[in-house]
Amino acid sequence: MTVSAFSDEWARQFKDEVNRSSTYQSAAKGWKWTVGLVVEAEPDKNFPESKGVVMDLFDGSARDIKVGSAAEAQKCDFVITAPYTRWKQVATKELDATKGILQGKLKLKGDLPTIVRYTKASQEMTECTTRIPVEWPDEK
Amino acid sequence: MHDPDPGRMARRKIKTNRVSRAVDYADPEPSAFASMLGGLIDANVGNSPAKRKDFDDLAARVGIWVTDIDEGVTLEFQRGSLVVHNGLKPKRDITIRAEAETVMNLSNLRIGLFGMPVYYDEVGRGVAAKLLQGKLRIDGMLGNIATVNTVTRIFSVR
Repeated sequence: MTVSAFSDEWARQFKDEVNRSSTYQSAAKGWKWTVGLVVEAEPDKNFPESKGVVMDLFDGSARDIKVGSAAEAQKCDFVITAPYTRWKQVATKELDATKGILQGKLKLKGDLPTIVRYTKASQEMTECTTRIPVEWPDEK
Repeated sequence: MHDPDPGRMARRKIKTNRVSRAVDYADPEPSAFASMLGGLIDANVGNSPAKRKDFDDLAARVGIWVTDIDEGVTLEFQRGSLVVHNGLKPKRDITIRAEAETVMNLSNLRIGLFGMPVYYDEVGRGVAAKLLQGKLRIDGMLGNIATVNTVTRIFSVR
């Protein structure tokens, strides 16, 4: 069953996917920081307001993932910001997140050596988003 | 008539955008990749006396080209400072060419005995395999093994 992109139900499924992933569990051992995803508004894509995804990740598991305001996400230890369309490209495997960051399509804020150390974990987290069947607002 | 005012003459000196004491950017708008590598090296040398020593000793021009995004940088190490240029510039001592994921993995190589990168763990085996498959190319490596190892140590977040 599909869920609306960046909805509470989407966040719940995303958390379940992360916690089901043994790859993430081993790659994220030792991770103890919060991660915020800022999804910038694109009114012409039927995504009128920016949203934030706040992820409480700890030692290989997702303790909590919730959707809130962009401001909440911006308070996290690591923040990745991009317009709605870019996140959709990431979630549909059209854009690799690592490449997107190196190209500046996704903007990363946070301690670089730490995030580089956990490249594999962040790649697997991206994979988890691709496993959720999503109804995209611009396709409604 | 020739303008005698030297203050109005064109200058060839590269203007840099100073960010920290260690890392400068040659371009007014550093690319995302340039900012990321510069930021990573800046943090690494700031956090580790051993990396700082390597950084202070290294004089080399190192190119890095990311083959799957067609972007690159030139890192101009100048014994204790670094200038990051967008794109590949001439007179490089070594040039590393690889896909984005491999470039990130280079930063994840562990450093072992005698400061040598470790190629027998999972990350190291992956990097070595890319070298053997030709998916990681290091032009100029043969004459500059010590430079390659020093750069690897400075890149490494391990």
